[in-house]
Amino acid sequence: MSKDYIEVLERALKREKAARKQAETILERKSAELFEAKQNLEKSYAKLEILLNRKDSQLQGVFENIVDAYVIMNLQGDILKMNQSAVELLGFNNANQDYNLLSMAHPNETERVIKSFKLLLNKGVLTNFHLNIITLKKESKLVHINASIIYDEGVAVAAQGIVRDITLDNKYQKQIEAEREKYSRIIANMNLGLIEVDKCGNILSVNQSFLQMSGYLKEDFLGKRSNTVFTSISSNKINLDNSSKPKEIKFKNKLGALKSWLVSSAPNYNLNGDFTGYIKVYLDITAIKKLESQKEKLLTKLKKSNEELEEYAHIISHDLKSPLRSINALVNWLKEDNIENLDPISVKNFNLIEDTLEKMEKLICDVLSYSSVSTTGQNKTYVNLNDIIQNLIKIIYKPNHISINILNNLPILYGEQTKFEQLFLNLIVNAIKFIDKEVGIININVQDLDKYYKFSVSDNGVGIDSKYHNKIFKIFHTLNKSKDSTGIGLSIVKKIVDLHNGNIWLESELNNGTTFYFTIRK
Amino acid sequence: MDKKLNILLIEDDMIEVMKLNRTVSKLNLNHNIIEANNGEEALQILEHKDTLPDIILLDLNMPKINGLEFLSTLKADPVLKYLPTIILTTSNNQKDLLECYKIGVSGYVLKPLKYEDYVYKIERLLAYWSINELKQF
Repeated sequence: MSKDYIEVLERALKREKAARKQAETILERKSAELFEAKQNLEKSYAKLEILLNRKDSQLQGVFENIVDAYVIMNLQGDILKMNQSAVELLGFNNANQDYNLLSMAHPNETERVIKSFKLLLNKGVLTNFHLNIITLKKESKLVHINASIIYDEGVAVAAQGIVRDITLDNKYQKQIEAEREKYSRIIANMNLGLIEVDKCGNILSVNQSFLQMSGYLKEDFLGKRSNTVFTSISSNKINLDNSSKPKEIKFKNKLGALKSWLVSSAPNYNLNGDFTGYIKVYLDITAIKKLESQKEKLLTKLKKSNEELEEYAHIISHDLKSPLRSINALVNWLKEDNIENLDPISVKNFNLIEDTLEKMEKLICDVLSYSSVSTTGQNKTYVNLNDIIQNLIKIIYKPNHISINILNNLPILYGEQTKFEQLFLNLIVNAIKFIDKEVGIININVQDLDKYYKFSVSDNGVGIDSKYHNKIFKIFHTLNKSKDSTGIGLSIVKKIVDLHNGNIWLESELNNGTTFYFTIRK
Repeated sequence: MDKKLNILLIEDDMIEVMKLNRTVSKLNLNHNIIEANNGEEALQILEHKDTLPDIILLDLNMPKINGLEFLSTLKADPVLKYLPTIILTTSNNQKDLLECYKIGVSGYVLKPLKYEDYVYKIERLLAYWSINELKQF
């Protein structure tokens, strides 16, 4: 081998050695790097795992604690997983029961359920789905469902859904709806006109009755200001303030008839309690007003004719009495001037003329007092009947053999003193007139009944046959023809009792006496 | 001692006038009666201020000017309002009575049916006024 060749070989070997050495160094370095990298990788993997675990338990927590029912099912509808709310809502015993959710739908809902399930599969989501279900505990419920499909690498694998029980909500909603309907029906059909105005007085709504009352159309009012529209269409000034005190207005309706309306306003508030305007209610009181004024007119007329009647009675009685007085004077003078020339029979006849005149005058007086009984005087006071009767006993003519006894303390009545006087006077005088016994007794008594006083005036006189009991209260009816009986006294008594909303009747036995009873309202 | 009275009787009923005259003469009273058939006539008589009566007896129900109208005219007159006026009437209407006292009367006497009762009332009435002090005209 040549030295050159050897040298060449040696050099080549040397080069090779160096190259290997270099390669070894590189390898060493690379492997150290690799180790480090692996270490790092392991570290970050561990970190990731912790992170993942944390997320997972977070999700689990959400799943369990969510208030709404949460259900995961496979694409056939079999439940895979559900939370406690779902268990309760759907009536399960625990979360691990197997069940096909689709069979929980109400039998009537089957078709809708199938349709919606298809929709869910196609679109991937189903929102705002209302469904009637029957739970495992046989309760009917209305539920609200939001659902979506779960995909694994683009393939649908399951469906998850949130189910909310809206049975109660729905019930409330329905109740509110029913209430609202009820009120709208009332508003539409009631006889009261109703308009709603906003804060500025613009008309927001009017009901049917209001349109009927006014004769106008909805369009005539809606959106217009109530103050101006009323004044302009009714062509008379209408002041509409918003006081809640009912107030009368005049409104000329479309036919031109002037109507009287009673209007009252109530402020209107929204849900937040903010003032939003007014609700005004209109009542047509035209008919009532008309009746009122008719009544007033009638009353005035009645009062006037009553006054005229009394005036008339006075004039008549005056005109009738005057000639009687004159005849009496003339007869008296004839008698006086010729007393020596008159025979006893003529004197007796003259006396008879005077008696007749007297009777005639009494008749006129009684008719006058009968006709003035119904005219109500203004002098109503509290009248003590004890005083009245004591006074009457003093002034009336009473023979000594007759005694008048008040058996009970008499009440104090509210009314006209003269009427009560007339009442008792006539009864007492009547009693005195018909007493035929040697000892005459007149008893006056009272009984306090609930709403009435029941009075009685009894005598031990001749008595009245029962067949006359109804007749004696009639005017001009007298049982005894006598100078001082005109047949008016008891008619006056009855009229006064009638005026006090009472009744009068009598009990009587022939020859034993009579008791008159009458009631007077307290 | 009793004064002799000049009495103006305002009365449309002839027999009522006769009654007063007969009563006064029957009682032997010395009074002088001036007759007026109605309010108008009475006002004419009262125009003579130098011969005014001492008292007036006035009927309420008269034709033309009735008693109340006459009374109002009288009371509106500055001189005549001092004349005592006694109502002599058949009307026991409370309204009339109150109205008369309101305008201003010196008495209100109801004419009774019986002539004797009338004599009795007139006797007392005239006796009363004949002892009264009256305005000197």
